[in-house]
Amino acid sequence: MPKVISIHSYRGGTGKSNFTANLATTIAQQGHRVGVVDTDIPSPGIHNLFCLEPEQISKSLNTYLWGEAPITDAAYDVSANVGLVDDSKLFLVPASTNADDIARILQEGYDVKLLNDGLRKLVKGLELDYLLIDTHPGLSKETFLSIAISHVLALILRPDKQDYQGTAVTVDVARQLKVRQMLLIINKAHSKLDKTALKQKVEQAYDVPVAGVFPLSEDMAQLASEGVFCLKQASHEISQEFQKVAQQLI
Amino acid sequence: MSKPNLSSFASSIQAAAAPFRTYLTELHEKYHPLTDGKVADYIPELALAKPEWFGICVITTDGQTFEVGDCQIDFTIQSISKAFVYGLALEHHDRAYVNCKVGVEPTGEAFNSIVLDEKTNRPYNPMVNAGAIATTDLITGKDATERLKRVLDLFRRYTGREHDINVPIFLSEKATGDRNRAMAYLMRNFGMVSDRIEETLDLYFQQCSILINTHDLAMISATLANGGVNPITGERAIAAEYVQDVVSVMLTCGMYDYSGEWAYKVGMPAKSGVGGGITALVPGRLGLGTFSPPLDVKGNSVRGIKVCEDLSRDFGLHLFNAAPAERDLDEWLSGSGVADSW
Repeated sequence: MPKVISIHSYRGGTGKSNFTANLATTIAQQGHRVGVVDTDIPSPGIHNLFCLEPEQISKSLNTYLWGEAPITDAAYDVSANVGLVDDSKLFLVPASTNADDIARILQEGYDVKLLNDGLRKLVKGLELDYLLIDTHPGLSKETFLSIAISHVLALILRPDKQDYQGTAVTVDVARQLKVRQMLLIINKAHSKLDKTALKQKVEQAYDVPVAGVFPLSEDMAQLASEGVFCLKQASHEISQEFQKVAQQLI
Repeated sequence: MSKPNLSSFASSIQAAAAPFRTYLTELHEKYHPLTDGKVADYIPELALAKPEWFGICVITTDGQTFEVGDCQIDFTIQSISKAFVYGLALEHHDRAYVNCKVGVEPTGEAFNSIVLDEKTNRPYNPMVNAGAIATTDLITGKDATERLKRVLDLFRRYTGREHDINVPIFLSEKATGDRNRAMAYLMRNFGMVSDRIEETLDLYFQQCSILINTHDLAMISATLANGGVNPITGERAIAAEYVQDVVSVMLTCGMYDYSGEWAYKVGMPAKSGVGGGITALVPGRLGLGTFSPPLDVKGNSVRGIKVCEDLSRDFGLHLFNAAPAERDLDEWLSGSGVADSW
């Protein structure tokens, strides 16, 4: 049975796309077929991590939502781009970075049912073992839908008051949508924080398990989204933490 | 309706994400390519319907709505109106009186056959044209306008929205309705209908020309399934005591001369119309509406029949089914439990 994982955060800049790309790659590395959909229609970006350039993107999630192409036509095999070999497969359905396309979808809206149907067709058409949904920060139609259809919701937060409050809102929404499984990911924890104590405190506050705690990292920042960190530096503590999170999801 | 909030938005998203909606989407994709059947063309207006139009809508008795395809396209209700006008006639008189004017026996004859019960001179049932005309004759009112308003208001109570008549279709039905006119006069000869024959025939052609859509068809049946109360508006459309009358003639006579096989295979009380609509129900559970204009030789929508057959089989919706179904309807509606349509 394929497994659907949504990655979300209430506020922007928490590292959602970076987390999604690294998690997807870590899972795919174990010989799985993984699909990633960028539902961050207003501000797409994850294609950068998979070294897919805007000029290579002729069809996108937008094209599908406008009924101009099947969703599988908008899926790009990026396995080789990130250095995956053998049975490990990674596909990306990017959202369009073209300003006219973004304006059009914001102005016209789209039918959320179509997104639901498309995600299911993608899983079937590409015979995916895992589908990861990267979302726009905050609450929106696509956030609600991705939470409602996922087997697992991963919520990313930084140790920051704004993130704490926003995460509480999202946890409430997820419970209203009867989410099947919820996990928290703490990202950008500065070096002076006691990670174990932080993990305990957060788990108590939300009554949701914390699947991983990632440090605020200069190394990650240096890569500047040009590629997937966990493949470039496999033995780094961050890559190890991704292995740990992936084990809890597969 | 209450103002939108987290709970209402969440439930609309849950409906969009429910495995049952995915099931309906796949059913739609499965039968959309089907090209069997022919669009009704006995009047030119009906022939304008596009063969590719196809809508499926399910509404549960607690108001959950699932729509796939062309559910908002208006078309004429045609024969589907007969079942519900029969319920109105029962309310305007009583069961004994209506029974002595129209029988409840399936005929096995085509819907437009000119045949009356030899002993009683009654038309066999309210779903054949003769019986439907005798039923419409029973709708009371001081004049044509009041009677029409009562019929239109009936459908408003069932669907929760105002309905209009497609005037060109009404006029065409009227202009080509000599066979129905002949039946009415034959019944007049036996004293089975009143003297206001032309007024009743007009009302009959008007009731057949009421515009509805797939969503309305699901709502009408959901209302019956809910004991006669519209699950969204809470308004009563038919007295509870007459729900069983309407539903039982739907089961025995609702699908023209295919009704026996329908009851055997599908087992859902249903009514179809030459406009391409079918309305069907699972009492206590849900109403189903389908719309697809191409008809089989008996006058039933080809795709509509397929959809009902699949739903009945996959979820065990046949009235008399006792075997465990392949899929559990509650789990597929709510998305909870083991149902996982991925």
